[in-house]
Amino acid sequence: MKLFLRILDRFEEILIATLIAAATIVIFLAVVHRYGTGISFLYPYLIQIHFSWAQELCIYMFVWMAKFGAAYGVRTGIHVGVDVLVLMLKPAYKKATILFGLMGGAFFTFVVGTMGLKFVLGLAQTDQTSPDLEIPSWIVYLCVPLGSYLMCFRFLQVAYSFWHTGELPHHNESEVEGLEALEVRATGGGELGVRQ
Amino acid sequence: MSSLVIFGLLIALMLTGMPISIALGLTVLSFLFFMTSVPIESVALKLFTGIEKFEIMAIPFFILAGNFLTHGGVARRMIEFARTMIGHWAGGLGIAGTMAAALFSAVSGSSPATVVAIGSIMLPAMLAIGYPKRFGAGIIVTGGALGNLIPPSIIMVIYAVSTSGATYFGPNGERVASASVGQLFMAGMVPGLILAVMLSATTWYRAWKNNYPRIPKATWGERWRAFVDSSWGIFLIVVVLGGIYLGWFTPTEAAAMSAVYAFLIEMFIYKDLNWKAVPKVLLASANMSAMILYIVTNAVLFSFLMTSEQIPQTMAAWITGSGINWITFLLLVNLLLLLAGNVMEPSSIVLIMAPILFPIAVKLGIDPVHFGIIIVVNMEIGMCHPPVGLNLYVASGIAKMGITELSIAVLPWLITLLIFLVMITYIPEISLWLPRTLGMLR
Repeated sequence: MKLFLRILDRFEEILIATLIAAATIVIFLAVVHRYGTGISFLYPYLIQIHFSWAQELCIYMFVWMAKFGAAYGVRTGIHVGVDVLVLMLKPAYKKATILFGLMGGAFFTFVVGTMGLKFVLGLAQTDQTSPDLEIPSWIVYLCVPLGSYLMCFRFLQVAYSFWHTGELPHHNESEVEGLEALEVRATGGGELGVRQ
Repeated sequence: MSSLVIFGLLIALMLTGMPISIALGLTVLSFLFFMTSVPIESVALKLFTGIEKFEIMAIPFFILAGNFLTHGGVARRMIEFARTMIGHWAGGLGIAGTMAAALFSAVSGSSPATVVAIGSIMLPAMLAIGYPKRFGAGIIVTGGALGNLIPPSIIMVIYAVSTSGATYFGPNGERVASASVGQLFMAGMVPGLILAVMLSATTWYRAWKNNYPRIPKATWGERWRAFVDSSWGIFLIVVVLGGIYLGWFTPTEAAAMSAVYAFLIEMFIYKDLNWKAVPKVLLASANMSAMILYIVTNAVLFSFLMTSEQIPQTMAAWITGSGINWITFLLLVNLLLLLAGNVMEPSSIVLIMAPILFPIAVKLGIDPVHFGIIIVVNMEIGMCHPPVGLNLYVASGIAKMGITELSIAVLPWLITLLIFLVMITYIPEISLWLPRTLGMLR
């Protein structure tokens, strides 16, 4: 069980990091290609490659990233809400309210996942495809049930550990933004050539 | 009636502290389930199509570019450039901080990222030459606020996306096009520069009055070297804005190009980034982007519900019928947004409020681009004051100061920001002059 969870965590992280990188590269290449075909000696080679599908692929990759990334976000505590009132409550009420919020999240994502599943199952009966890439639509839309169910699972996971330990995952803005990379250089004004 | 139920439910759910995206989604679900005959299956489709627009994809790209730049040494080089130019003035290091923040926000598109990047280098330097901690912290927090206004700006993309897609009518019943990302970016330039000057003036005045220590003047040789060293970063501004203006790329493509460019200069020219850090940057960017995109998805659902209940149209008719003119309306908008800025973070506010307020603004004859800039400035102010000002929290981590002390520290600059807001609100030309001159706007 522990192993399964670790594999799931890694899979989630690798998937979303890869998707954002791939989408960036695809759009970059598409733009380079568009201007490359304007250069006469490259034209005969580049004209044979088509990048008309780039936008569509980029959108699909980001939609998949958004669905799975939202689930990852529950684990990292990045989905913030309005907590001014909750923080003022007595501990017992506070715990109940936070649990209510987490269960609300689990409920919503479960309902959306189920609706998405029904929708995808319906689509799988047809042979509808996406306009440019021509992949079956149901595969494209599969991220809705998969992502939502994963997110639902993450909400339950967070609720479970909150119930037992009273701790929530906390997202620290200044930490992810790479403060640790800069702190080394920021030791005093010496480096800036500041003389007194 | 239905609007009361919708907003009551939304506010009640939000007050439980659940994520705003979930509160929006649950409101829509329960309303659809209990109160209307709109087929619930249409919701599943909206959950996908809500973010199926190429314009929205600029958001993850800009976040990625910003994260690459924050991890590297672009910020340090921009600070060095600003310091050599104006460091010897009264409060010069502080003004250099604001100027460096203006430059850096022009490449990163994010306000908290600017606070981190500039603040963690600048604040220790300012303390080292003997500025009081409060003075330095105030500069850092508000300097970061420039990040939303100086293009590229993520909030502007969100505004453009959340107001596009429907048909709006002006005061005489003519059709009005919503603001494009490119127009908003250009419109943000002049206000951003004015704000940078106003914040610097506040810094200068306080430093001059209290006679804070100064640093020696740099030589022209040092200035030139600092400029050359930082020019790779400054060139990014030219690529993004010039590229969009000249029609080389769409804003989304420009965002992708700047992400790749930021990666290349950090990796191969400045060599401040190593391969080991890349997955971390990617993951952090994906995490942040997914959070915003998830709010976008649910906000699209929410505005779908509102449109199908005719709420914005009813409100627009009511407001125009009650004889409120644009001056009063904008005053109310500012108050409402500043109030919302007390409890919510900017992207959620824009996503929820913009679709409601936009039709009314257009009906009263307010230019869509001007209205966007007003919203952006409000969001900046919201980031600088408690209880949920993101810049404050980020800065309090860097400065090791409590939120209360920091809130007092930012007051002089916060007042400057409020004066600036009044100027932006009632002088549309500040925002509209540049895009008009460039022929991007009528």
